[in-house]
Amino acid sequence: MSDVKEMKPRERVLAALNRQPVDRTPTCNPTSLATVELMDLVDAPFPQANRDPELMARLAATGHTELGFDTIMPVFSIIQESSAVGCKIQWEQKDNWPTVKMREPIWESLEDIRVPTDYLLHPDAQCVIEAIKILKRDYGDEVAIIGKTMGPWSLAYHCMGVEPFLLLSLDDPDQTKRILDKLKQITIEFGNAQIEAGADALTLPDHATGDLVSGEYYDRFLRDLHIEFVEKIPIPLILHICGRTVDRMEYIAQTGMSAFHYDSKNKPQESIDITGDRVSLVGNINNPETLFSKGPEAVRDEVINNLEAGIQLIGPECAIPLQTSIENLTVIPETVKEWHKN
Amino acid sequence: MADILDIGSRIELISMDPHFLEISIGLYRQGGETPRFLVHSYSSKEGVADRLSFIRQAMVVLGGMVQDGNYLSFVCGSEHHAAVRRTFLEAGKISPEAGLEPRPLSSLDRKSGLTLVVSERGSGLYEVTAEGNEKAKDRRVKVVANGLAKLGEMRLIDGREDQVQYPCEQDHASLTGLLLVRAPNVRAIVREQEMASSRGVLAAPSQQ
Repeated sequence: MSDVKEMKPRERVLAALNRQPVDRTPTCNPTSLATVELMDLVDAPFPQANRDPELMARLAATGHTELGFDTIMPVFSIIQESSAVGCKIQWEQKDNWPTVKMREPIWESLEDIRVPTDYLLHPDAQCVIEAIKILKRDYGDEVAIIGKTMGPWSLAYHCMGVEPFLLLSLDDPDQTKRILDKLKQITIEFGNAQIEAGADALTLPDHATGDLVSGEYYDRFLRDLHIEFVEKIPIPLILHICGRTVDRMEYIAQTGMSAFHYDSKNKPQESIDITGDRVSLVGNINNPETLFSKGPEAVRDEVINNLEAGIQLIGPECAIPLQTSIENLTVIPETVKEWHKN
Repeated sequence: MADILDIGSRIELISMDPHFLEISIGLYRQGGETPRFLVHSYSSKEGVADRLSFIRQAMVVLGGMVQDGNYLSFVCGSEHHAAVRRTFLEAGKISPEAGLEPRPLSSLDRKSGLTLVVSERGSGLYEVTAEGNEKAKDRRVKVVANGLAKLGEMRLIDGREDQVQYPCEQDHASLTGLLLVRAPNVRAIVREQEMASSRGVLAAPSQQ
C-alpha cells in the first residue's frame, strides 16, 4: 500500500510520468483503445471518428468512462498530420485503420519538401486540436488528456516511403539528417498546438522500429532530435517505438523524454534495468497474441508481470486491435487496483 | 459512465454486419458447465433488436440450438465451442430477407462433382459417404470427415476414415448439415479467419 493520499487520475499519471510518488500505478494508453464495439456504444465509428472532432472525443472518452483507464487519448491513428501536409490516405472502414499510401510518396528528396504553411488548419489536424479542446472541457480536471505528434522518422516514412527513405539513410546520411531536421518543425508545431488545446502529455511515435533500424542508427539520427523535442515541447513526452528496442533504451533514457512506450518484445525487467529512474516505462501488454487472441487471465498475468518489475505506468504496447474484446481491456485497470490492495 | 455490460466472455465477433448498418455483433458465452450464449450488439441504432432476433433464430434453425429468452444453448448442454462460433458466423451471413431452413445432410462437392452424404448412426456418430465418381471417393470422404472433425471439434473414430462423433455423444443433425457445407474446404475457413483477425491490427509503417 502506498502512503500517498488518493490521487485523481490526471495527478496520478502526471506524477508517474515525472517518476514522483503515486497512490497506485496509473493505467495509461499512449495510443488508441478504440474498438468496434466501443464505436457502436457511442455511435462514433471509424473512419469518421478520425475526421470529426466530436466523434473523436466521444470515442476516446470511453477509454476512461467505460474501460477505467486514467488517461484519454483521442489520436487513434498515426496519419493525421501526414494527411494535413498532403499525403494520400486510405481511410478504410469501421473495422480497419486508416493508412498513408506510402507507395505514392509526395517527396523524394530534401529539395522537394514543402510543408504547407497552413497545414495546422487542415481539417485532419484541426480534428485532433478540437477533440482535445472538447476533452479538456469535459474531463480536464479529472483525467490526463494525451495528444500525439509524430516524429520526423515516421513522417519521412509517410512522405517519402519506407524503402526510399531507408535507402537514402544508407546512401546519404547527411541529407537524411537534413530531412529529419526539416520535418521536425511539424512535430514541434503540431505538438505545441495540442498543448494550447489542453493536452497534458504527448505521445511521440518515431518509428525507428527494432526490425529495420538499429540502436546505433537511433543514436546517430534521432537521439539529439529527441533531446530537442524535450526542450521545445514543454509537457511530458512519451516516446513510442515498436519492436525490440533494448539496444537503444540507454540512448532513449538520455533524451529527457518523460516516458518510453515499449513493446512486448522487450521484457519488463530487462527494460527497467536499463532505464532505471531516468525515463518512465509504459506499455508492454501484448496486442496480437494476448489482448486480441487470449482471455482476461493472460492479460492479468502480463499486467502483474509489469507491476512486479516496477514499471511506472501500465497499458497496451501499441494501438490495440479494433476487434479486441472489452473484457480484455477492463481487466487491465481492475488488475492494477487489485494488485495494489494486496 | 460505464454502459458496458457484464455479459460473459466474447467468443466470436462479426465486426461489420453486412446486412445491418455495419454494426458489430458479438457472441458471448455465459455459464459454467452448462454454457449458454448471448448474441449482443452495443449499437443502439433503430432495428438492432430485430437483427439480433433474426440471428438468434438463424442459429436455432441452422445449428439446432434452443432458445430461452435471449439465450441460446445446445440441447445436450455442451459448449461445442468451434461449432457454435461457426453457427454464429454463418447466421450473420444470411440476409434477413432470405428464408431460414436447416441445411440438408448432403451436399454437392464442387471440387470432385461428388454428392457428399452424412448419415446419422446414433449417439452423435456420423458417417460420411459419397455418390458419384469412384476414383475420388475415398479421398474426398476422408477430407470431409476430417473437416467435420475440425469444424465441430468431433473425434475421428479409430480405424475409420469416414466416421466422426460429437464428444457429447448426442445427435446434432442441423449442426452437422451446417458444417458439411464448409467441411470440404476447411482451408478456406482458416484463410477467412486469418484475414478477419489481421484486419484492425495496426502495423508500424515499416510493416505496412
